Amino acid sequence: MIGWLCAIDHKRVGILYMLSAFLFFLAGGMEAMVMRAQLAAPNLKLITPEIYNQMFTMHGTTMIFLVAMPVLTGFGVYLVPLMIGANEMALPRLGALSFWLQFFGGVLLYFSFTTGAAPAGGWFSYAPLSEKAFSPGPGVDYWALALLMVAGGSIGSAINLIVTIANCRAPGMTLRLVPLFVWMTLVTSVMIVFALPALAASLVLLLSDRLLNARFFDPSQGGAPLLWQHYFWIFGHPEVYIVVLPAFGIISEIIPVFSRKPIFGYPFVATSTVAIAFLSYGVWAHHMFAVALGRNFLAVFAAASMLIAVPTGMKIFSWIATMWGGAIRFSTAMLFAVAFLLEFTVGGLSGVAFAAVPVDWQMTDTYFVVAHIHYVLVGGTVFALLAGVHYWFPKFSGRLLDEKLGRWTFWLIVLGFNTTFFVQHFLGLLGMTRRVYTYPDLPWFGALNLISTIGAAILVFGILLFWANVAMSLFFGTRAGDDPWNAWTLEWSAASPPLPRNFAEIPEVRSRRPLWDRKHPEAPDWMRA
Amino acid sequence: MTRRAQLGMAMFLIAETVFFFLLILAFRYFAPTPYLSSRNGWILSVLLLSSALAMWRAVSGSRLWINVTIVLGAAFLAGLLAVSSSALTGIHGLHILAGLVALALVPASALRAMALYWYFLTAVWLAIFLAVYMGGAA
Repeated sequence: MIGWLCAIDHKRVGILYMLSAFLFFLAGGMEAMVMRAQLAAPNLKLITPEIYNQMFTMHGTTMIFLVAMPVLTGFGVYLVPLMIGANEMALPRLGALSFWLQFFGGVLLYFSFTTGAAPAGGWFSYAPLSEKAFSPGPGVDYWALALLMVAGGSIGSAINLIVTIANCRAPGMTLRLVPLFVWMTLVTSVMIVFALPALAASLVLLLSDRLLNARFFDPSQGGAPLLWQHYFWIFGHPEVYIVVLPAFGIISEIIPVFSRKPIFGYPFVATSTVAIAFLSYGVWAHHMFAVALGRNFLAVFAAASMLIAVPTGMKIFSWIATMWGGAIRFSTAMLFAVAFLLEFTVGGLSGVAFAAVPVDWQMTDTYFVVAHIHYVLVGGTVFALLAGVHYWFPKFSGRLLDEKLGRWTFWLIVLGFNTTFFVQHFLGLLGMTRRVYTYPDLPWFGALNLISTIGAAILVFGILLFWANVAMSLFFGTRAGDDPWNAWTLEWSAASPPLPRNFAEIPEVRSRRPLWDRKHPEAPDWMRA
Repeated sequence: MTRRAQLGMAMFLIAETVFFFLLILAFRYFAPTPYLSSRNGWILSVLLLSSALAMWRAVSGSRLWINVTIVLGAAFLAGLLAVSSSALTGIHGLHILAGLVALALVPASALRAMALYWYFLTAVWLAIFLAVYMGGAA
């Protein structure tokens, strides 16, 4: 126990990130279910509007800052050193500090419940609603302080990953040869370094207003509520890619291994990621189309937002081309990866629709937005994570997850997820606004919401089954061996689970598939090129 | 180890640049300019600049100069507390305070990284002083 609390080894810190994300996922999931129960039928009054506001605020904040970011960081911290042939992160103590900052940030956020007033201004806490005049309780203060800690922790872990990837690669492994997951983690980390400070600055201004009587967001005193929106979304849109690029990295590792082909167009997958990173800083105002910003301003941001679909689309085609003509093995990991392609594309397409300003004006703040964000973050990030857990669990634990339970999990989650969120597109088109705790009995509203709630229950069942599989396999799973999938990257040459010192001998790397080279000395990749 | 520390610090300072840039922008346009006479401002600037100079001496030659850096930095912080207060100088002052503690403990392997931090804070101070205090008069 003490060993875990004081751990600085990257594998232990990585596992701590995942456990902490699991804990907060339980909380965030329960908040979601409270909302779905309240929305199951028109004019229900299971909870008060105040509680409902707290639920959606805490759900959004939790899932983004305390689940998605930490679990992806955990994957990065665990896997990056193994993939680049290193025995440790470059700055191990910074790694531990970053984790605990993030964890206690989450604890601080949840402490707000004990004051009786959890934050209730939504996960982006727009000013002036978040100002003292409209949110007099301490909830927003907890929210801002907690997120400052989380931001500090994220920046710390991002710096650590950047320095590790820059300095600790095995001899011969140039940046052209690192696995794509490492590429995506590098780009994501650079994005965190540039984007999270914008969140920190926004929070400092908000706290100045609330605690020091500054007036940044108070129009009656010469401030500007729009300042919050600009600063928050300068962070907020890159954030979307921060939680989705590592997912792209996971998919880019899994699809080739289970298609028995190297990734199609490695340089395109890598450079399109850099393009996404650049573009993501020029699209923030598409969250603000409903604000009067001026026609030219809107046109520029609409065009940039549509443009960002291009490098994303390139990746989708690379993954499909990798599968094309491959000897595909549909393990549970691969099933989730393929489902990811479909679900994420649905989310991507509704995103392109939003980039058209008139469509956005019609749809903003309706359930269409809720459907879009969940297709991207659940259909994208969560599906990729589930694929990743099924793929790397043998490396983490030394045992395989049960494939039969895995298939049940997969189909329940696909069914539950789509049932919950697909109908929300229609609810949005019918005009149901988000963040309202109940709704009148209009045509279709009751039926579609009931379907959505039933879907959520199925989804919960699927996730419980997944955890049951994890818990059981941890003790009774089939022994995996070092390389159960016949894979090609260096993490599979270490023991399962890896020894404290990952590699007895640091491997020398000459191609993108160093393990293939070792298994096939007669036809190594580097001789082909 | 030195290279890692310096690269890590460089990344951290990029983050800090974004942070201070956005804060300075907001304070310049949306906060009342708090009182800071330009005479006091110049005295503070000279203190911090000479502290940075001592830091440069410490890196390029004798470690003893670190003590001079710390004394001058502490004088800057005391002066800042005495003559002005705003959230912006307060945040900068907290960075200086953290820097002073770190300078007192810094191992030789991280000295260059700490020097980067110290030069950066000096530059940020000049930006705050010129953009918010001097610029506010116009």
